[in-house]
Amino acid sequence: MDLLEERRNAAVTVFFLFGILLVLTAADLIGGERLFSEAENRILAQKPVWNTGQVLAGEYAQAYEEYAADQFVGREKWVSLKSLMDLAQQKKEIGGVYLGRGGYLIEQHLPRNYPARLEDQKLALLELLTERYPQTLVMLVPTADNVLEKRMPAFAPYYDQEAFLERVRNLVGEKRYVDVLGILREHAGEEIYYRTDHHWTTLGALYAYQELMGHTGGRAGRYDPGELAAVSESFRGTLYSRLPVFDRQDEIRILPGTQAYPVEITYDFGKKAQSCYEDKYLSAKNQYGYFLDDSHSFVEIDTGYHTGKTLFVIKDSYANTLIPLLVPEYSRIYVLDPRYFFGELFEFMDHYQERSGEMDVLVLYNCIHFLEDFRYYPQIYELTGEGAGAQARAEGGNP
Amino acid sequence: MVFSSVVFLFRFLPLFMILYFAAPGRMKNVVLLLGSLFFYAWGEPVYVLLMLFSTLSDYLHGLAIGACRRKGTARIFLVSSLLINLGVLGFFKYANFLIGTVNALGGWSVPLLDLHLPIGISFYTFQTMSYTIDCYRGEARVQRNLLDFAVYVTMFPQLIAGPIVKYRDVQDQLRVRKPDILEIAQGCRRFVAGLAKKVLLANQFGLLWESVKETPSGDLTVLGAWLGIAAFALQIYFDFSGYSDMAIGLGRILGFRFPENFRYPYVSRSVTEFWRRWHISLGSWFREYVYIPLGGNRRGLPRQIFNILLVWMLTGIWHGAGWNFLIWGLWFALWLILEKVFLGKLLERLPAVFGRVYTLAAVLVSWVFFSLEGTGRILGYLGAMFGAGSAGLAGREAVFALRENFLLLAVGAVAATPLAGSLARRMEGAGSGWGIALCRVLEKLILAGLLLASVVYIVEASYNPFLYFRF
Repeated sequence: MDLLEERRNAAVTVFFLFGILLVLTAADLIGGERLFSEAENRILAQKPVWNTGQVLAGEYAQAYEEYAADQFVGREKWVSLKSLMDLAQQKKEIGGVYLGRGGYLIEQHLPRNYPARLEDQKLALLELLTERYPQTLVMLVPTADNVLEKRMPAFAPYYDQEAFLERVRNLVGEKRYVDVLGILREHAGEEIYYRTDHHWTTLGALYAYQELMGHTGGRAGRYDPGELAAVSESFRGTLYSRLPVFDRQDEIRILPGTQAYPVEITYDFGKKAQSCYEDKYLSAKNQYGYFLDDSHSFVEIDTGYHTGKTLFVIKDSYANTLIPLLVPEYSRIYVLDPRYFFGELFEFMDHYQERSGEMDVLVLYNCIHFLEDFRYYPQIYELTGEGAGAQARAEGGNP
Repeated sequence: MVFSSVVFLFRFLPLFMILYFAAPGRMKNVVLLLGSLFFYAWGEPVYVLLMLFSTLSDYLHGLAIGACRRKGTARIFLVSSLLINLGVLGFFKYANFLIGTVNALGGWSVPLLDLHLPIGISFYTFQTMSYTIDCYRGEARVQRNLLDFAVYVTMFPQLIAGPIVKYRDVQDQLRVRKPDILEIAQGCRRFVAGLAKKVLLANQFGLLWESVKETPSGDLTVLGAWLGIAAFALQIYFDFSGYSDMAIGLGRILGFRFPENFRYPYVSRSVTEFWRRWHISLGSWFREYVYIPLGGNRRGLPRQIFNILLVWMLTGIWHGAGWNFLIWGLWFALWLILEKVFLGKLLERLPAVFGRVYTLAAVLVSWVFFSLEGTGRILGYLGAMFGAGSAGLAGREAVFALRENFLLLAVGAVAATPLAGSLARRMEGAGSGWGIALCRVLEKLILAGLLLASVVYIVEASYNPFLYFRF
């Protein structure tokens, strides 16, 4: 009798566990296939095509395994369960995102990923640029992990950008170096970075603007932080996407006065716009695209202000928040994102310099983007003599 | 194909099990053979032929040994079988290592062979050698049925990561297996436990180890170095014993009894005991087919020391063709010999805690040799562990990593001891009526929870390495 009951119990265990496997298998086989995962922001692997050569090389099996995992039924739910399980383990870092205090998600940058060698390469490129255009100003913005000390989890490691910025300052000299680390740290208690996104806010950019005006002689007191007004209260940024278990939202605030600036913007030599802000993004997922229409390789801004001054900005996405504040200072602003530009930089800049006379040049990145993305082809030299060396040095910065 | 993958759990396993249990009597072995060949060919589409060659070769050698036993020429066929097995293993696993060594010593530049190591080759060649040796010794019956023999060699549960099953241990089960629901349930429990050990524990410890391993030696603090190597120790234990659990569990579902491979090695009180609890099937293979035939401990201390040195050098390079594995083996030989000479007796007289701490320290240091390559890396890491590095006692990264993984480390430390198992057995034995009913419900919920949690980590799939590609 006892044994019979034990056998019955064993049978229940077996059918229960196999039942789980079979139900999931059936659901997976029935389930449809997707091309793209919104939540993970990547293209999913597709069913590989049978090809004898690839099968024999084992590549087919590998591709099929990726496909099976990527297209697994309810993948996004499983993935968000993973984050919950990490949370249950009391983790403060999940998938490269720190769960900071006060609801802040802060992107992790480990020291070992930014070795001195990488710094050297980027500084060599910067040096070449500042030699060619001595009027260049350099503003490298520290990321949240280096500024929001009190928001970071205890002992959380971070790549020390202060030391790197010191190198930048020594390289380009006090006159060209726009220090924003100090002022951002001073205001670390304020809303200078988004809670769900890796960008800085308009307030952060405003403080940086004030520092910049100290170098250009422009009007530093033009804006009052008290004027900031929200255009969106439902911003869920890139860090939220990587860790979608927290339902948090940010406000996007701007200085309303800047909306009214008369501008004529040309994106990538084609599309025109009459404002630095694109409302359509506020109802989409990527709300940061509101600033300067997201990413473009080259943007020309003709302002309605006849200051006679021109600015050429070499930049990352951080700059998109700051540039609208600069409009009244310049007649014309050129904005170049080297990630999408494959021409000769110096030739390109000279072309615009000839057109508009002496222009201010601004290198504006956050430190991490600068190390990861700052690259350019200075000029196609004859591949002999000194030029070849300079080119090789510059191309060393293009991993 | 690895067990901890979507393809195995949600394609291969359900289909195979349905076919296997639907197949009548003798057809089960046909299903098992074809399933196993598919399983192996999935990852090694070409080398599956090598495995079939090995199978056929040892099948024929077995027949020849059986036929010649009385004529005394059986020895020739035994030697031929061993030469072929060791030749294949030597060629695929050690040829490049030898060429590299010869080049380094002689300053030559003999080109390396364009080969990759066939997965599981060390496991299945050791299995087939156990067959021919035991046939020769008369300890196993000669297998006349090629199908049954092929099932033994290629059987997918233990094919790619052990345990190493001796032929004589399963020779009866190859022909007759009675499906028994109690056995199948035990097999399911064991499989789920093994999967959870691999996916939920080993992979997470692996991530911690990887992050320490990436730190340049100069930046490694004392705390970081010990934390890292402890993480590796737990990773390889839960990974390897998890694979063995899954293999043993699958075997039981199919009606096989495979030998145990791990018995909580980290609670050992001496290195000698550690090797009776760690990778038992490999240790007993070397003991039975190398150590004892060489005289074991019966020919005086000097001979015994020689035997230990030889066996542990072989054990070392069995794990991979590299100098670090040889040193890893010799490191253990050193402590085993010291224990034979005087340390063992000393440890017996001291409180248990001394033995445990000493054994853990010796094993943790051994994992540095095992997991890192290159003299510089190994010495740098050992230096950091013992405070010779320049980075100090502890830094932000190490403290943060410790804090992040505190719960995981606590769970891992407990799970590496027999505590949980004995608790479960006590609950099972103590309850009555409602108690038993509750235990039974709880058991199913825990198993389902572990299975689903493992699926979460498998589908997310950010880190799921296969550690035995060099074995």
